[in-house]
Amino acid sequence: MLYLLCFLLSLLSLLLLPCLRPCFHAKKSLKDEKEIDERTYVVGEEEPPTGLRRDLMPRHVAVIMDGNRRWAKQAGLLTSQGHEAGAKRLIELLELCFKLGINTVSAFAFSTENWGRHKIEVNCLMSLMQHYLESKTQYFQREETRVSVIGNLTKIPESLLHKIHKIEKATKCYKKKHLILAIDYSGRFDIMHACKSIVKKSEQGLIREEDVDEKLFERELLTKCTEFPSPDLLIRTSGEQRISNFFLWQLAYTELFFSPVLWPDFDKKKLLEALVSYQRRERRFGCRL
Amino acid sequence: MDLYDPMMHVSSWIRQVGNLGLDLLWRFIHIVVSLWYIVFGIFEAIESYAISLGFDERYNSIDIKKLRCLAVAVDIADARDVANVIELLQWLTTIGVKQVGLYDSQGLLKKSKDLVLATVPGSFLLEENGKNDFSPDEKRIAIEFISSSDNKEAVMKAANILLQRYLKSSPPENDKGENFFTESHLSEALRVVGDNGHVPDLLLVYGPIRSHLGFPAWRLRYTEIVHMGSLKYMRYGSLLKAIHKFTGVRQNYGT
Repeated sequence: MLYLLCFLLSLLSLLLLPCLRPCFHAKKSLKDEKEIDERTYVVGEEEPPTGLRRDLMPRHVAVIMDGNRRWAKQAGLLTSQGHEAGAKRLIELLELCFKLGINTVSAFAFSTENWGRHKIEVNCLMSLMQHYLESKTQYFQREETRVSVIGNLTKIPESLLHKIHKIEKATKCYKKKHLILAIDYSGRFDIMHACKSIVKKSEQGLIREEDVDEKLFERELLTKCTEFPSPDLLIRTSGEQRISNFFLWQLAYTELFFSPVLWPDFDKKKLLEALVSYQRRERRFGCRL
Repeated sequence: MDLYDPMMHVSSWIRQVGNLGLDLLWRFIHIVVSLWYIVFGIFEAIESYAISLGFDERYNSIDIKKLRCLAVAVDIADARDVANVIELLQWLTTIGVKQVGLYDSQGLLKKSKDLVLATVPGSFLLEENGKNDFSPDEKRIAIEFISSSDNKEAVMKAANILLQRYLKSSPPENDKGENFFTESHLSEALRVVGDNGHVPDLLLVYGPIRSHLGFPAWRLRYTEIVHMGSLKYMRYGSLLKAIHKFTGVRQNYGT
């Protein structure tokens, strides 16, 4: 009975309170009427993301692109076609993120554990990445997007490594928009790599043992290529609810959004859903407010 | 010029009406979405009560052996209310969970360790080596208390230990430390600084936001993460549902 009463009261307040707020805006001057509210997207501007606020957009979004194989199986296609669809979806997501003001996007393209997959699939993935890095170089230059590739790059084919270096060199001057591709990446490897980097610097006399703290450690992680190494929002598709050794250190206070949709089906609508969910949350970064 | 002022008034009036219309539309959408969430919440509550009362047979027998180690991350606001945490632990003991890592970023639960261990029947502190000397049939639960000092700070200390060991070993000039800095070395160094290193199979997050709240990163590689909402509104049925769902998960581990 009490529960029902609470429900009715909350429903009533939801209906009445917004209507009590003055709906008529004060008469503005001509100049004010021409100004657009910078905080909110104007309805009608490139298919409005209803309810999103520009000032609450995440600075860095990370994606775990899971579900390509399942998508291909459901569609009766080859696994390679699933990965191809996944790659296209990434480019679309990238374009959308940049349009919405999200300037840094990280994508978990290939994990260290993925080497355990069938050799044919691994070769297909390597070829696909090579193809996209080569064919999209001009696109990234035109869009002034910096591309960085992070991971343990010692095992990847020479031809792909060459393409990686080429695209990184061609886009390193761009500062505003950034795509970080994690290839042969492992969160634990990232942490170990930082440890080794600190050892090297210590041997060279660049740092002392007592200088080693969290900030210095973070600067040695592979995500040092970006100003915002910790993602504000992580999206993982296909319904799996784990981070699978991705950005272990960096994800401490990241909003996690697990979508049941398979990656090639993660379209604009799903991204906006993730962003609305993100903007509704209250993050405290472990502190008391 | 004479026509200009009336025209401006008209367009200003039109703009105001337009703004009003958009405002009302936005509020209408807001109400619809809020109603949807209310209905969804009610449905979840009903389902949870049904599970608690045993109406859904699927949840009456859970293969709890698959859940070797459970972790619970609690938001600091919720961690202050230890009574809820104790009740949660009692539920977990009833379900048959044998090992729990209890985490909050500020270490509030660590400070209430004695109270928790004294109040939760069958509870004891998890030993460093992880050996639990009790039979699976006993309703006992081993608890580990974790805070953010066991996360990045612990990794820093472990990294320092490895660094000191490496430098003391007087490595040759070309040695890049490949054999010295491996995952197992860091895991061992973490144990030295007091991190038991128990890797949870499932992490339940209680709090307003969906993040793991700074839970020790080294342990989270393949951990399933489930956001449970605020601890104030925790339900036995929701807990059972989350654990049951976990037992059905199949991981590929990237392969």
